[in-house]
Amino acid sequence: MRTETLDRSRGGMWPWLGQRVTAVIVIVTIMVHLVLTHFVAIGELSYANIGDRLAGGAVLANDVLLLVAVVYHALNGVRMVALDWGLSGKGTRRGFDAFLWVAGVIAVIYGIWALWVWVS
Amino acid sequence: MSAKERETANVGAGLWRGIGMWAWILFRISGLILAFYLFVHIWVISQGRVGGAERLDGLFDLFDHPILVFLDFMLVAAVLFHALNGVRIMLMDAGVGIRQHKAIFWACMVVAAGVLWVFAYKAIPFIL
Repeated sequence: MRTETLDRSRGGMWPWLGQRVTAVIVIVTIMVHLVLTHFVAIGELSYANIGDRLAGGAVLANDVLLLVAVVYHALNGVRMVALDWGLSGKGTRRGFDAFLWVAGVIAVIYGIWALWVWVS
Repeated sequence: MSAKERETANVGAGLWRGIGMWAWILFRISGLILAFYLFVHIWVISQGRVGGAERLDGLFDLFDHPILVFLDFMLVAAVLFHALNGVRIMLMDAGVGIRQHKAIFWACMVVAAGVLWVFAYKAIPFIL
């Protein structure tokens, strides 16, 4: 199974490695994200509260890192599922990859743009 | 590691039976749910910039509903299952504990359940 996973038609080595690197980043940053929202500021979810939290800079850095890593991880995961479900053919695969990259870059830029209302 | 052990190292993937199969199915389902939620979450938070504080706080008021707090709690459960099963997969990738893969799966699930319990303790007053 391992060699198949690494085979180019089954995903390739870089997406395989990228999925694991982002997994580790997401585990750390999502725990910070969840502890801050569900423990530190529980019951205080509001526009103003988000502003207070992001003002620290460190939380903003955590959330932006989480955003980038988790968008890659989610879309690369969708790609794995699509490959398993029989997305085949070089052209189709490349087209789908291009679509996921465009969607991911847009999601990250849109997410950072959205967060910046609390920064500026 | 022998060829046979290497073949079964990625426990669950392609092994269409037993606990590995269920872990794999739940891993896929939780992953797809979390991927969908991610984009909903980005959209919701962006409403703070699109429509200002009033619009975002209006959405947050909806999320105070016990059913949505419960769904939020289920998301935490999905995150924890996905994360801890992911840790198990990375351990198997690294060749750690392949012979004890079932015990490691349950150990990961105990950690996930333990952390979930801490979140439940916080969430229950908002649900009941």
